[in-house]
Amino acid sequence: MEFKAFYFDGKTSEKKEVQVHFYDIGELRIKGLENELSFRLKDIRITPRIANTPRSLYFPDGAKCETQDNDTIDAFLSQQKKGRWNAFQHKVESNLEYVFPALVFSVLIIWGLLYYGLPVLSKKVAFALPSSVQASLGKEGLQYMDKLLFAPSDLPEEKQEHLRLLFNNTKQGIPKEYDFLLALRKSPKLGANAFALPSGIVVVTDKLVQLAKNDNELIGIFAHEMGHVVHRHALRNLLQDSAIVLVIAGITGDISSVSSLAAGLPVILVQRKYSRSFEREADLFAMKYMKQHKIPPRHLADILLRLQEQRKTGNGLDYLSTHPATEKRVKELKGEE
Amino acid sequence: METMQKEESTKLYPFQFTGKADEYFKIWISNIFLSIITLGIYSAWAKVRRNRYFYANTYLQDSPFEYLADPLKILKGRLIVFGLFCLYYIPSKFLSGVLPVLVISILALFAILMIIIIPWIVVKSIAFRARNSSYRNIRFRFKARYFEAMGVFVGLLLLSVLSLGLLYPYFVYRKNKFIINNSGYGQTPLVFFAPLKSFYQIYIKGVGLFLLAMILSAFLGIALSALPTAVLYLALIALFLGVQAYTRASVTNLVWSHISIGNNRFVSSLRTGDILGINITNSFAISFTLGLMTPWARIRLMRYRLQNLKLIAADNFDSFIAGEQEKISAVGEEISDFYDMANFFDVDFDIGI
Repeated sequence: MEFKAFYFDGKTSEKKEVQVHFYDIGELRIKGLENELSFRLKDIRITPRIANTPRSLYFPDGAKCETQDNDTIDAFLSQQKKGRWNAFQHKVESNLEYVFPALVFSVLIIWGLLYYGLPVLSKKVAFALPSSVQASLGKEGLQYMDKLLFAPSDLPEEKQEHLRLLFNNTKQGIPKEYDFLLALRKSPKLGANAFALPSGIVVVTDKLVQLAKNDNELIGIFAHEMGHVVHRHALRNLLQDSAIVLVIAGITGDISSVSSLAAGLPVILVQRKYSRSFEREADLFAMKYMKQHKIPPRHLADILLRLQEQRKTGNGLDYLSTHPATEKRVKELKGEE
Repeated sequence: METMQKEESTKLYPFQFTGKADEYFKIWISNIFLSIITLGIYSAWAKVRRNRYFYANTYLQDSPFEYLADPLKILKGRLIVFGLFCLYYIPSKFLSGVLPVLVISILALFAILMIIIIPWIVVKSIAFRARNSSYRNIRFRFKARYFEAMGVFVGLLLLSVLSLGLLYPYFVYRKNKFIINNSGYGQTPLVFFAPLKSFYQIYIKGVGLFLLAMILSAFLGIALSALPTAVLYLALIALFLGVQAYTRASVTNLVWSHISIGNNRFVSSLRTGDILGINITNSFAISFTLGLMTPWARIRLMRYRLQNLKLIAADNFDSFIAGEQEKISAVGEEISDFYDMANFFDVDFDIGI
């Protein structure tokens, strides 16, 4: 077997055209230089084949031959029973019948990892850590938000006192390791809203209090928010976020400034799915709590419906909305009665 | 007469990139697949295969470049980096509520350590890249003194922050000067001859454009108060990307067009509009295919960049002489890869020079 190649001696950049001859005994000769050179196959290093890019044969003295004739080299190597691993790599990389299953498999694994594996893993890790870890996540959170979003509540003092009492009663039924505290705030920007900080502070806006028709509805809201804390959603969120960013950055790689922007959409989609499953978990927590205390979960459904009417969103945007479509949640809450 | 003669003996050699998106797509998928089933160990081999593909498809005067790194060295580097990352990440994220004093002291120690090792990482990673890049069987090389790197990547970087960015163009100038003047192809050194003034011109123009566009859009925003906020945000992002594309294209052109090697020099002619267009379409393509168009995006960007790079050569291509060999570990390159430091410092050695 023989092929054309370019010879570079490794001392200067001079390029010489040569003929390389392979012999069955595992030897090769280079013709076309002043003196014919001869090497044993075991003494030379042949770089792996990648697609149809040129490939080098390195000789012990640092010289090399560069050639585009990949097929002849491969034929010789397979005859000499060498380079099987690279032959396999190249076979996988160049045939659609291998690439396609690899693609399907990779997509499934990554999808399974992000959708099922990661939530389970982060849950395990989150619960393996002491509860104080989560509490430390958002210690200054309320102070920042007070500056940016909130004003003190406008509700009359008696009403506030009543709500605090209601809140403290609600938290009696929940494990003591969490430090629950009610924060009443006014916020024109957020409207009727409630959320829990990882430290256990539950923020409820005046508008939401006004939207509630009775105490049972508010108990439902409190229990839902406490559910977020008890299930350590903030900590799990942090763990999952760091992991997705790592996974997606690993796949899309480093196309300089583009990557941060390009990774955006997949990250958002996956995160939406996570937060929706968190909402469901918090709903289930509230439902269980309400049933234990002989409060029909329908009350939580009622206030959710009213909230939705007020916001006029959540219709048909199931996949992109943080909260699962309200109808779905309401159905679940009512169905369990 | 003499100048006439000189002009006659110089020739223009364009770089050529022959990579194909479908070909690279298959390599990319196989790399991901094998990395998954080997729990990430294959990623070192994947990186080498990717770089080999890009280098071997880059031609200058009918000869390809070659990437030579040993995957085992890269794997070793990655394991060390992973260990360091755990050392830093775990205390900073999870123990801060439990043992604040210990955590703060660990983090402080780590920060001091980082400042001490950053120059080392920079030097090692550029050297690793350079040593493992070859053209016509002559390797590139990079040799720099630790304290020079310290002055640029710690000292000047800090000063440019403290001066609120006024010294940033100077930092970029010194950074490129440091990289290029310490590099060589075999025994032939690279020489950087861009004037500092040009760096300031680019950044002043960039910032000026940005401010002007901001003021204009603010007026427009007031005039068309019906415009939703989302549109304004999008406009702002587009603006930012535009200015970024401008500074990147201009700095790349400025730097490449002021590198000489022997009696030869480069010319780079990237255009802001093209770069912006490629970046935006690449981002959309990658997002909407959940990453599947990544190979296409990479190939496209590389092709554009190399199409616009040329060598004006007066020397014979056969006359370069090799330097002596020296072994360098991959730890530096892996650390800078991991923390995206190469990107941060804009250490641009993508095509082996």
